[in-house]
Amino acid sequence: MPKSARLTKLTLIALCCCLCLGALGGQRAEAAEVAPSYMYSFYGESVAAPAAYQATSLYDGRTLGVDAFKEPSDLDVHPDGTIYILDSGNNRVVLLDQKMEPRGVVDSFVNGGSADGFANPQGLFVADNGHLYVADSGNQRVVHLDEQGKLVKIIEAPESELLQANFVFNPVRLVVDTSERVYVMAAGVFDGFMEFNSDGTFSTFIGANRVYVDPMEYLWKMLATRQQRSQMVMFTPTEFTNLDINDEGFIYATNGDRFGDPIKKLNAQGADILRREGNYTPQGDLIFRSATGPSRLIDIDVGDSEMYSVLDARLGRVFTYNGDGHLLYIFGGLGNRLGEFNTPVAIARAGDDILVLDKALGEITRFQTTEYGRVLNEAVRSYHRGDEASAARYFYEAVNLNANLEYAYAGIGKSELRQGNYGDAVHYFRQSMDRANYSKAYQLLRKEVLRAHFSTIMTGIVLAIVALLLVRRYLKSKARKKVVPV
Amino acid sequence: MNREQVTYPLQLIVRPFQGFWDLKYERDRKGVLIAAWIILGMLGLTVILQRQYSGFLVNFNNPKYMNSLLELAYVIVPVLFWCVANWSLTTLMDGEGKFAEIFMATCFALVPLVLIQFPWIWLSNFITFQEASFYYFSGSLAVLWCLFLLFVGNMTVHQFSPSKTLVTMALTVVAMGFMAFLCLLFFSLIQQIVGFVSTIYQELSLRS
Repeated sequence: MPKSARLTKLTLIALCCCLCLGALGGQRAEAAEVAPSYMYSFYGESVAAPAAYQATSLYDGRTLGVDAFKEPSDLDVHPDGTIYILDSGNNRVVLLDQKMEPRGVVDSFVNGGSADGFANPQGLFVADNGHLYVADSGNQRVVHLDEQGKLVKIIEAPESELLQANFVFNPVRLVVDTSERVYVMAAGVFDGFMEFNSDGTFSTFIGANRVYVDPMEYLWKMLATRQQRSQMVMFTPTEFTNLDINDEGFIYATNGDRFGDPIKKLNAQGADILRREGNYTPQGDLIFRSATGPSRLIDIDVGDSEMYSVLDARLGRVFTYNGDGHLLYIFGGLGNRLGEFNTPVAIARAGDDILVLDKALGEITRFQTTEYGRVLNEAVRSYHRGDEASAARYFYEAVNLNANLEYAYAGIGKSELRQGNYGDAVHYFRQSMDRANYSKAYQLLRKEVLRAHFSTIMTGIVLAIVALLLVRRYLKSKARKKVVPV
Repeated sequence: MNREQVTYPLQLIVRPFQGFWDLKYERDRKGVLIAAWIILGMLGLTVILQRQYSGFLVNFNNPKYMNSLLELAYVIVPVLFWCVANWSLTTLMDGEGKFAEIFMATCFALVPLVLIQFPWIWLSNFITFQEASFYYFSGSLAVLWCLFLLFVGNMTVHQFSPSKTLVTMALTVVAMGFMAFLCLLFFSLIQQIVGFVSTIYQELSLRS
């Protein structure tokens, strides 16, 4: 082969390679734009799903122009869009407006004529009237400021016969309901949340977790002597890890319970009324390595239409469920890229966006809905409003974007059932593995079909009976004829 | 196959004492043995079809992991285990049954399972949740009937008293557990040995 020919050949091959690489690179970039997500199917397997939320921006104290955050531990969003960040390490609350422009800093207030401040505060809550409640853990009190930053009241360690003599009040997180009752989650309290009246007096505990007794440990305890037993760990209920309150005054709480329900919705009596009608109870990840263990839910945020999101500290994922307990979407994770966290501690909704606060890095990640997320959110809202027709339209769109979304098929099925299209309803309920509704739709379909074809079916049965009788008679007569000659 | 061969199992399940007696003393051994294998095969077929074609409301299997051969094994292996365990025990306990008789009696006791569950595979496609209780009821009825036949079959084949039969049946279940354990142990040991030999072979072939 002449040298020049070989050279051209080589160049051609190189060119081809470059082209291929270019094409590949292009595809990669496109794929990286929206990270793929996953869902859990009826059978508890993880299946592919498009991302419902996408990280769009990352903020830290310096870029926001309020000095670096130091171990921030909580954030909350007022209905008007103002974001409150509790910068625990710097003992201050930072206020940002909707566009993430700083609107002010609360680090001191006037208490009895002299300036007072926070000491390592851990939790905050913003009421709809703009009042700010801070769990001032270092000072063992809850501080209530009005929208101007003036002190309204301070809740100190309560005195009550319900409490032990050596009780230390260490408030960590709190919520306030519309009649200004304050619910405090205090560290080292196993009896549930501490409820304070609007005047700051302690009233009661609500919503204690149940004690789980490990059978093996119980056996050991039975065998141990009294002295040994006193050295063993006591069976105590698990503590809550966080709480939120919705506009109806129900408290949503997460706990680190390995064996019970990690998410609870408490009514005024402290009873758990969370609906768990999905294929499995809301609990974060279903599949996990035994080394990492199950999801450890450390924050919960209730949105509109009873949707709620929980934050898993173990793998940094955010799980969103609807009011019936169906899993809607999952996003987030641990890592160094945008949309991943190091030590996530708190989530909050700002409109449809979701903000996640990272404690060690002092950063806030803003997640915005993708088209899929918007469609799904709207579907859930329409369904919650009772507008089944428009819900079905959104669910139909959602199914086109994610064929694995079993929950959406049930939404379409319900609308078809309402319209009397029983055949389609049966089909969609079957797709969604929703057996209860399938049974309802099937019963109606069966009735419809039997009614429509009643005359045909009855004629068929009568004809069959007549034919059977005739055949029998014919066979008998034939048998008799055979017998006669003998 | 003549008419009698089909009606015999049906007569046996409603008149078990007479039926099992005939099975042991009166009937042609070869014909009954063939019938027993056919019944076992039909039960296997029923179970496979049930997994695949049962109505949506009563079928909770993941079709992705449906394996007909495994389903067949889940039917045949326990039956064979039962027969082997029962035979080993009754030989020591003065039972009169031969292995073939035990196998035939066991297979004939399975007839109600086929007879009741086979039609339900199709019927279950046309039921709602309220009617599903009939499905489960007839399923349990089939199992109870089968257990009763197993009991009578055991009693007749070994010429045991009822109480002794009950004890043997309970012990048979325990023996099955032992056998399962021994099998697992055996296979795991074999696996270890095979692994060991193959590692040595690999080592030698790579060094030379």
